[in-house]
Amino acid sequence: MSSAIESGSNQKRIRELKLLAAKIRRNVLDICMQRGGYAGQGVALADIAACLYFDELREDDNNWFHDRFVLSNGHDAIMCYGAFAEHGAYTMDALRTYNADGTVVDQSPIEGQLGFEITAGSLGQGPSQSAGIAYGERLKGSDKRVYCLFSDGELQEGNVWEAAMFAGHQKLSNLVYIIDNNDLGATGSTATTLSVEPVPEKFESFGFAARRINGNSIEEILAAFEEAKSIRDKPYVMICDTRLFVGIDCLQKTLPMAHYVAKAQADWQAGLAEIEATIEALSQ
Amino acid sequence: MSKQSDYLLASEARSINSAPFDGISHELCSRRKDVIMMSADLSKYTQLDSVKRDFPDQHLEVGMAEQNLLSVAAGVSKAGFVPVATTFACYATRRAYDQMLVCMGTSPLTNVVIGFTPGIANPARIHHQAAEDLGMVRAIPNATVIDPMDATEFGQALNAAVDLPGLVYMRGHRGNTPCLLNTGHYQFELGKTYQLRGGRGIGIIATGHATQWALEACDILEQENIDHSLLHVPTIKPVNEAEIADYCFAHEQVVTIENHQIVTGLGSLVAEIVSNIGRGPRITRLGVPNTWAPGGTLPYIREQLELDAIQLAKRIKEVSGE
Ligand SMILES: Cc1ncc(C[n+]2csc(CCOP(=O)(O)OP(=O)(O)O)c2C)c(N)n1
Ligand SMILES: [Mg+2]
Repeated sequence: MSSAIESGSNQKRIRELKLLAAKIRRNVLDICMQRGGYAGQGVALADIAACLYFDELREDDNNWFHDRFVLSNGHDAIMCYGAFAEHGAYTMDALRTYNADGTVVDQSPIEGQLGFEITAGSLGQGPSQSAGIAYGERLKGSDKRVYCLFSDGELQEGNVWEAAMFAGHQKLSNLVYIIDNNDLGATGSTATTLSVEPVPEKFESFGFAARRINGNSIEEILAAFEEAKSIRDKPYVMICDTRLFVGIDCLQKTLPMAHYVAKAQADWQAGLAEIEATIEALSQ
Repeated sequence: MSKQSDYLLASEARSINSAPFDGISHELCSRRKDVIMMSADLSKYTQLDSVKRDFPDQHLEVGMAEQNLLSVAAGVSKAGFVPVATTFACYATRRAYDQMLVCMGTSPLTNVVIGFTPGIANPARIHHQAAEDLGMVRAIPNATVIDPMDATEFGQALNAAVDLPGLVYMRGHRGNTPCLLNTGHYQFELGKTYQLRGGRGIGIIATGHATQWALEACDILEQENIDHSLLHVPTIKPVNEAEIADYCFAHEQVVTIENHQIVTGLGSLVAEIVSNIGRGPRITRLGVPNTWAPGGTLPYIREQLELDAIQLAKRIKEVSGE
């Protein structure tokens, strides 16, 4: 393929993913405005979700995914829900039961729920489980790749570093860690609570190939996923710098540090209007 | 057995404390300069705001790292301070149980751990619902385990805890918490049991949050003229075997109610005490069954588990045969 054609098709792919990310953002607001939720994370992670579910994870024959995605940071399930509405695995009607009494669309999912490999909510347990899955897949001779999303807050858990030491020691090159590095935990800035930086250097010293990227740049996310596949003898970690609500300015302005957004806390209609306008512009 | 009855309870005008731990921790830290309030990225969610603001030297944050929280706390105690380690009950016990048992449980030094949103007081099912914490900690030799019923008892029990030797695990209350006990008459004493309702008929034993539920059910039983009494047992360990045995043998039927699995908690404890003596009354254990509880708001979960006032009263009546 000539590079001109390649870059042309790349441009088209990036545009499509941007549009998908915008739709994921809209879905996140639609879901969270019902009874509150982790809206800021869902919106901020929409670009990663679009790239992951609609580009990176290979499909199998059953309209599902060949590669395996492990959500460690349970409350980031909202990102998956926003994407699953576009994918078709869940209807918006089902997703709108998020946070309702007795729903099975849990804010932090339980193992066995469609789309979720582990029970996540007691944080910091995904990196080890995904390393175990990657180890097992490699042992079987399978070509499946394993992706695990976790957060800067989870970096404070010792379990995460036990996982990293194991994955580095085992040279699990089929394992990709995706870190939502948003400088936020439950009580505020992680830089203040307990600093996790410098993240790339820490993982490099554990035997990872590490790259810090802008977690809201589709181009950088795709490039990191590509780079991960080119690395032969090491696990890979992409440290995605983000901030809550990136992509919806009015909500980012009013709720820059809202780990959780109660229903009454946000001007959902203003957010929806803004994201609908973005969708409209990207659809031209 | 102590001869108290409803005069231990506040009269009609029951107040609600919207942030019990905020005031309790602040009062304690202003009085006791050796106390260090510790948190693991949940100070906002356990309501530790005023101490952070007014006594920054008495607050220590370790980030979201509960194993580290408990082992650093044990170190802080070994340097001469009294740590009060706070997080949700699930993380305090399940996540850091070995640290609790080894670092704190084998030490003579005061180490207080408070587990918030215990049992079904947390809406996020399974991972956030610690319905086995009391059983886990009471299995640790020499540990102290307290499950206070309201904001008043929470404060009094914490004040007692900081002067006790070794590991003290207590359950915390957060958010709108009723003040049910009469502050003029009630005084928490370690190991003491409190009869909140006098009567014969059926004996109800409850602890912690579930004592609130039991009182609600008692109101219904009273309206229906069903003879009953209620014993509140805030100290799960060291438990007052004599008072509990006396109470049980004074009734033909005993029902236990707890915000905890019916396996290993208060009901199990009462059954152990009674079976040690033999020929005791039948014990019916009500609480969270040994299945995963649903998620959602507390009223919803209680209803699903038949622990709301109406269903509780009905189940108690069934036991009593009335
Ligand atoms: C083991 C564990 N400890 C504590 C908590 C309570 N908690 C829930 S979210 C959170 C902060 C986590 O930080 P992060 O995931 O970076 O938050 P975000 O940026 O998504 O707001 C904490 C402490 C938990 N869920 N699991
Ligand atoms: Mg974060």
